[in-house]
Amino acid sequence: MSLHLKNISLVLGGEILIAPLWLDIAAGEAVTLMGKSGSGKSSLLSYIAGDLASPFSGAGEIILSGKMLNNIPPQNRNIGRLFQDDLLFPHMTVGENLLFAIPRGVRSERENMMQTALVRAELEGFADRAPHTLSGGQRSRVSLMRSLLAKPQAMLLDEPFNKLDRELRGTIRDYTFTHLKARNVSTLLVTHDISDAPDGGRIFEITKSGEIKHV
Amino acid sequence: MISQRQSWIPAFAGMTDWGVIGAIPICVLFALPLITSLFYALIGAFDVTAWQALFAHPQLWSGLELSIFTGAIAAVLAQITAIIIVAATYESAGWGNLPATMGAMLALPHLALAIGLSFLIMPSGVLARIISNIAGWQTPPNWITTHDPYGLALIAALTIKEAPFLIWIMAGLLDRDDIKQDFKNQRAAATSLGHGSVSIWLRLYLPQLMPKLIWPLVIVFIYAATVVDMSLVIGPTQPPTLATVIWADINSEQVTNNARGNVGAVFLSIALGVCLLLAYAILKSVSSFCRQFLSSGPNPQSQSNFVGRANYRILVWLYIAVTALLLFMSFAQLWPFPHLIPTTSTRAWGLILQSPNALITSVGLAIATSITALALIILWFENLPQKSDQLLVLLSLAILGLPAILVGLGLYRAFLNFGLTGNLTGLFLAHLMPVTAYMIIVLVGPYRALDPRYADIAASFAKTKFEFLNQIKLPLLKAPILAALGVGFAVSFGQYISAQLIAAGRYSTLPIEAVTLTSGTNRPLTAAFALLLLLPPLLAYVIAAYFGKSRWSKG
Repeated sequence: MSLHLKNISLVLGGEILIAPLWLDIAAGEAVTLMGKSGSGKSSLLSYIAGDLASPFSGAGEIILSGKMLNNIPPQNRNIGRLFQDDLLFPHMTVGENLLFAIPRGVRSERENMMQTALVRAELEGFADRAPHTLSGGQRSRVSLMRSLLAKPQAMLLDEPFNKLDRELRGTIRDYTFTHLKARNVSTLLVTHDISDAPDGGRIFEITKSGEIKHV
Repeated sequence: MISQRQSWIPAFAGMTDWGVIGAIPICVLFALPLITSLFYALIGAFDVTAWQALFAHPQLWSGLELSIFTGAIAAVLAQITAIIIVAATYESAGWGNLPATMGAMLALPHLALAIGLSFLIMPSGVLARIISNIAGWQTPPNWITTHDPYGLALIAALTIKEAPFLIWIMAGLLDRDDIKQDFKNQRAAATSLGHGSVSIWLRLYLPQLMPKLIWPLVIVFIYAATVVDMSLVIGPTQPPTLATVIWADINSEQVTNNARGNVGAVFLSIALGVCLLLAYAILKSVSSFCRQFLSSGPNPQSQSNFVGRANYRILVWLYIAVTALLLFMSFAQLWPFPHLIPTTSTRAWGLILQSPNALITSVGLAIATSITALALIILWFENLPQKSDQLLVLLSLAILGLPAILVGLGLYRAFLNFGLTGNLTGLFLAHLMPVTAYMIIVLVGPYRALDPRYADIAASFAKTKFEFLNQIKLPLLKAPILAALGVGFAVSFGQYISAQLIAAGRYSTLPIEAVTLTSGTNRPLTAAFALLLLLPPLLAYVIAAYFGKSRWSKG
């Protein structure tokens, strides 16, 4: 379960945002990529996930667990994502949000997985609650659990702690990276805030010319 | 600072000193006729003999069945068509043109579409002629394509006419900045969880849109189940839909039949209300099943846009074909069966030129009512606080949602009492009511959404309230105001029931003429009238769209 990005480039109109990018992320490793707003870091994640829209365009190979992903539709790539917003679906309960991600199968087994995820999110008994009744920290944990229930092999994080209260950020960050590491997921985090990066992980930066520099 | 006063009615708190003057015109010319007409329709229901006569009517139950069947199927088909087309177009290149295309289709009166469609599919129609020329038939086929006993032709016409309305509503929702952004984010999240676009539409977009689409769908159902003019042109006849049975009673020379028609209209309204309650109960009982579906796990299937795009093209081409066919037919004279090209003549247009009264009356009424309605609405908006809009919107939705036959009948009864039938004042008021209702619905959002800080800035330049309205507010609201005028114009052109009743044979409008002609044999003249019925609203729409463009918009 490792993610390999080979000679990735990202172009907006005719302007090169990122090029070239070579990056290998081992199973369970979390790599941080720093960039200012407009540097193309979010679009890079879209390219890897497979839903980059015009006027952006990208090139380069994406290989996950030995499988080339370039021609695979985004929903079949086994890549999870977390965004600035928790993006819990407002018309579903917390439990339904989690079930939404659990692969098809026997209902009772799926329900058990959902309950286990709630326990891990420290939200036992919250299955029937509406997402908007939860606190920001609780919603973030549900969002992470939902992503993990889809059994991703890689995870792309786009400033997922950005909108959280200052005192929550550290806790949710540690919670997120602990769970990702425990499941051996290769993780790429993009952010403009170095305090989002996991302790001891490799950190890179997008330079003005679009190259990737080790920090 | 605009002075404000307290009012004993909470909704009116904060109205200006001119509030009463702002409220009176619209109350007198719009609200009062509506409430009076509902009152008259309802007091007509307290007639035991008429109820007995209604329940003894041999066509009551068969008619009701047909009305509910055609209305429900047409509403469901229109909604499905709308969803398929929207899903295939959303987030793609054709999306930007969709509302404009649908707007043009909305401008086309129901009646004109029904007439054009019947000319297309009838046994001696163009479709049959084309097939005959390929298959070598010499006589028209014995198709029962119009006036078929199950109302299939009526369902088709209603579906074709109502789908653009529902698409337009959906496009309006999906283009809202907040919904657009939410859906884009939700799509990215759902995709990363393994869901394809089919699943995203079924599990995310539609469940969230549906609560907002229910009321337009209800309006479509009530409209379809109570439509009279389309049903007379293309609907079943043996037996007819209940709305047409009632219509015959109302127009009967016999007073007892009139009374039966009145209770019939009330009965139909109640029956449709019961249907909606039943539908609601059924939906409630299957909702737990639907919830299971929401959370049944990722399905990566991507949608094929082929069916949706094909549907879209067929819809557009049907409208173009109907318009072209009406134009063509209006010049047809002798047209023996399998021939594709008739001998031409300008007789129909000559007749219209000789007696253009119906055209003049319709155009005059449409211009007068849409401009009057605009003045009434602006007077209200400028002098009353936003909270009080609820009252207007409620009344407008009542007109859109209640069967036109019920409102029209009540209006007729009321106007008869006040000497307002058979004269232009009555006709004007009868047309003004629905025109105002539709224009309120179109304008209330954009008018109230204008940033109130513009007024403060203008006041700081010592602009008077009128100068602000004239120089800043109305120019900023140019597009929605023109759109509303276009809608008002088209709505006025579409009035059949109340026009026919209130005109009382002394005046004629285009819908009245067109319906009368469809029962005759003069097809060129019928086509010419149908074309006259659709061209002015279409023109009004094009003008509104053209002049409504922002100064800064491209192209």
